Amino acid sequence: MLRGFSRISVVVLFIAVIFSSVTFAESPKEIIVSAAADLSRAFKEIGAVYEKETGVKVLLNFGSTGLLAQQIEGGAPVDLFAAANKSYIDSLEGKGLILPETRKLYAVGRITLATPKSYAKLSFLQDLLRPEVKKIAIANPAHAPYGMAAKAAMEKIGIWKRLKDKLVLAENIRQTLDYVETGSVDAGIVALSVSIGSNTNFTLIPEELHPRIEQAMAVIKNGRNPKEAKGFADFINGPAGRPIMKKYGFVLPVGMK
Amino acid sequence: MNNSILFSARLSLQVAWVATAFIIVTGVPAAYFLARKDFKGKELIDIIFTLPLVLPPTVTGYYLIVIFGRNGLIGKMIYDRTGFTIMFTWYAAVLASFVVALPLMVKTARAAIESVDRNLINASYTLGHGEIETALRVILPLAKKGIIAGIVLSFARAMGEFGATLMLAGNIPGKTDTMPLAIYSLAISDEWTQAHTMVILLTIMSGLFLYIANIYTKRSI
Repeated sequence: MLRGFSRISVVVLFIAVIFSSVTFAESPKEIIVSAAADLSRAFKEIGAVYEKETGVKVLLNFGSTGLLAQQIEGGAPVDLFAAANKSYIDSLEGKGLILPETRKLYAVGRITLATPKSYAKLSFLQDLLRPEVKKIAIANPAHAPYGMAAKAAMEKIGIWKRLKDKLVLAENIRQTLDYVETGSVDAGIVALSVSIGSNTNFTLIPEELHPRIEQAMAVIKNGRNPKEAKGFADFINGPAGRPIMKKYGFVLPVGMK
Repeated sequence: MNNSILFSARLSLQVAWVATAFIIVTGVPAAYFLARKDFKGKELIDIIFTLPLVLPPTVTGYYLIVIFGRNGLIGKMIYDRTGFTIMFTWYAAVLASFVVALPLMVKTARAAIESVDRNLINASYTLGHGEIETALRVILPLAKKGIIAGIVLSFARAMGEFGATLMLAGNIPGKTDTMPLAIYSLAISDEWTQAHTMVILLTIMSGLFLYIANIYTKRSI
């Protein structure tokens, strides 16, 4: 019995070894783009269009902005970095790791007031004071840009102190949305980019209520293909890229660079 | 099945096999020396080998970047000479898996070698076998069960490696996205249907390897 089993397992192991040899396709020109995780859907779509038009292969590397910045400081061969918050670009610029003339905004972040699909939509931040709203999710304002904006907006209309005990802090904006979508909280303040297409009812929060969330990108100094990286950055902000960015909630006011 | 799922599954297996091969080659001798020899700094070496087991993988990943990144201690030397950097290649995934999974091999094999009956080892020496012969023909065969357990645990750990790999190898679709990384990407971009397929596939694969391992461990009693 055992003998039979072990023969089968040798065959399985053998198949596994054969099956596991990956071949990597080499392409003439490729760029590595490190992008904040919330950009993944938009950048995948733009990357595919760019590849088709130019033949340059776009390899996307997604993670949290802090982690991506650390990789670049460690010397990762990144060509373009799109950060969730421009402060990371500032810090890399201070260390001489980016080409300063290539930095530009790709979006100005907006926040929304979201409730689970089965709940009624809330139209104003003040509605968060209602007794039936028991738990509210925001991203951790200590480090997440959208969390900082959420806190600023609540402070601006003077409800921050009264709501403090109702708050649930999430690690990032995606997790904040998950709390809302699953009904773990009664409401949440999330990014417009993750609200679109989500399982929530949401209202856009007026942008005067919080400091501008500026999302910037820049070409990395020691990248392998800076020219192509610059080309991709221009493409994102160009006539082909902008509509796709807008579709996923990354808006850029007219005339801003 | 979707191409990207297939790629991730194959890459995960490839990374785990290669990492495990290196783990066997370095881990078994290391375990032997730690179990059988007394030398200065032995416990320090044991601690260094074991640290990646208890440190959060992101911390291990950070160390790996500091050492092997293009600006790192060793990474810079390699880059200046050859223009090659391990970061963002599948070799980086192997390196991360190797470092994180090695302690499982060393710990289990060391315990197994230490528990081999001293009388049998002494008998081998009395019968005129040298150290290498005793190690290969007496000690290692008697410790086989523990060593195999170590191999399996390392392999399983390598298959599931996430944190250190994410930092050193990046998360590049079609290049370095092993199954755990691909699942993470799909989850953060809200593509749960594809994520489900991969979660189930990874569970089945890991279960299958553990099943095979159990058969082998039973056989060597």
